[in-house]
Amino acid sequence: MFLEARGIIKAFGAFRAVDGADLDVTQGEIVGLIGPNGAGKSTFFNCLAGDAEPTAGTIRFLDRDVTNATPEVHARLGMARTFQVPVTFEDMTVVENVMVGAFLRHHHRAGAMRKAEEVLEFTGLSHLAGSPARSLGTPGRKRLEIARALATEPRLLLLDEALAGLTPAEVRLAIELVRRIKGLGITIVIVEHIMEVILSLAERAVVFHQGKVIAQGAPRAVVDDPAVIAAYLGHHMKRVRM
Amino acid sequence: MKQWPLVLIGFLFIAAWPLLVDDVFLQRVGALVLLAAISASAWNLLGGYAGQVSVGHAVYFGAGAYASLVVYTELGWPPIAGAPVGVAVSLAIAALIGTPTFRLRGHYFSMATIAAAELFRILAANWPLLGAAVGLMGPPVPRTVADLSFLSPIPYHYLFLAVLVVLLTLTWKMQRSRMGYYLAAIRGGDRAARSLGVPVLRYKLYALLLSAGFTSIAGSLYAVMVGFIDPDSALGILISVKLLIIAALGGAGTLFGPLVGAMILIPLEETTNAMFGGGGTGITFIVYGAIILLVARFQPRGIAALWEAITTRRASRVP
Ligand SMILES: Nc1ncnc2c1ncn2[C@@H]1O[C@H](COP(=O)(O)OP(=O)(O)O)[C@@H](O)[C@H]1O
Ligand SMILES: [Mg+2]
Repeated sequence: MFLEARGIIKAFGAFRAVDGADLDVTQGEIVGLIGPNGAGKSTFFNCLAGDAEPTAGTIRFLDRDVTNATPEVHARLGMARTFQVPVTFEDMTVVENVMVGAFLRHHHRAGAMRKAEEVLEFTGLSHLAGSPARSLGTPGRKRLEIARALATEPRLLLLDEALAGLTPAEVRLAIELVRRIKGLGITIVIVEHIMEVILSLAERAVVFHQGKVIAQGAPRAVVDDPAVIAAYLGHHMKRVRM
Repeated sequence: MKQWPLVLIGFLFIAAWPLLVDDVFLQRVGALVLLAAISASAWNLLGGYAGQVSVGHAVYFGAGAYASLVVYTELGWPPIAGAPVGVAVSLAIAALIGTPTFRLRGHYFSMATIAAAELFRILAANWPLLGAAVGLMGPPVPRTVADLSFLSPIPYHYLFLAVLVVLLTLTWKMQRSRMGYYLAAIRGGDRAARSLGVPVLRYKLYALLLSAGFTSIAGSLYAVMVGFIDPDSALGILISVKLLIIAALGGAGTLFGPLVGAMILIPLEETTNAMFGGGGTGITFIVYGAIILLVARFQPRGIAALWEAITTRRASRVP
């Protein structure tokens, strides 16, 4: 199995943000992770990427137990991720941000530079290469996060709401980018709030609710599932009442 | 870098300084500027490039200074021979302090470094081998040239200049290598850096070891030149603060920031000391305080950032 998470629990005090979640990913697919706000998707991602230690459960990646491995080890093994709230290196230029990722597999400056330029070209950021990263807006930062992750030459890419906060036109561009990333042979797990994105991108959808997987399967079938509708609707009504 | 002509002019000016002025006070200030530039550039490797603001670098400065004079008082060696000993001791202390303190963030890290440094100062002040509260003296009269004991500040000027050039060349190479990018990423944020495969703890430690080693060399050079040290002048918290202020004033995390900071602070400090007599620590504290306020209020990234802002504005005016 490419990626296999079993019975993942992540507790903060008495509260279980992730409460016994399983996930299997096979090489080459795009899996969509959906669920209302606060369902535990980002926390689950942090567990997968080694950024948070699961309270219980096991994670295997490429037939290795990575449950307690550090984020650095995950990156070296070929798992890259983006953060829901972009964490840009503000004092660096765009190309320098990407070079940090590229240095993982290219130890010399010239090689890392070449790799970074190639990734910037691929992600459509070439024209911003020399700009200070702090001058980027949200769409630029989200794209830079993806570029930086790609520069580590991953086999699996975890995207946490990489399309949130974009205009419809930008979303279309981002969807096209994700398709091209898949074309490189990179497996993708994408957390997304917008149903249409999951419907048009994912081959399989996994629905989170209160830290548990409540449904999974073909995206079309999943969104019509009464349990999923109830989870989303319940959440929506709660928010309206507040 | 398009500033190379400016760098060359600055270098020539510094190299010619003791020959341009024939006043011993001014020559001495020149040598002290270079010594401060070495110390602050060493601090800059960790505090500037890696963004780990140490307020305890007096430990490494003191280790170098004490090692130099201890090899003289105990073994009769020329003080400069203590420099490698100081470096070895500093690296050991750095490895010891580094691993636990790097788990702390921001202000907590800074506070832990202060505490560790004060511990060593108190230790030195009570240890007879280190001269306890009285301190240590170097050779009263030079026995051989190897004692590096000169009346004129000029030989020190060129010795310090050589060390500074080596340090800045190394820093420049580091800045352009993978380590330079990794340190900048660490300064930008541990979490993002780790997600990209940067072994954060290991690189912080590399930066600390490099920084501690050169700070120790600066301490040895200080002891060689001044020939007398005590716990306050070699291990006092004022030294740690001074390194930080010089780097921050000129621009932390930039190649020439610490040198620029030293060229401003040291002449200022030496003239106020000369005017108000003696080591005037009261005045020194006031000057440091004022500089911290000014840098924090108006230019948090130092004069280097100011320079960058001015030059880019000028550049962008060109159509
Ligand atoms: N570090 C933390 N400490 C305490 N609670 C947390 C922490 N991180 C997340 N949570 C809580 O866990 C739940 C799941 O959050 P999150 O994983 O961000 O959900 P999602 O990404 O699906 O919106 C939320 O209720 C959130 O408040
Ligand atoms: Mg989230």
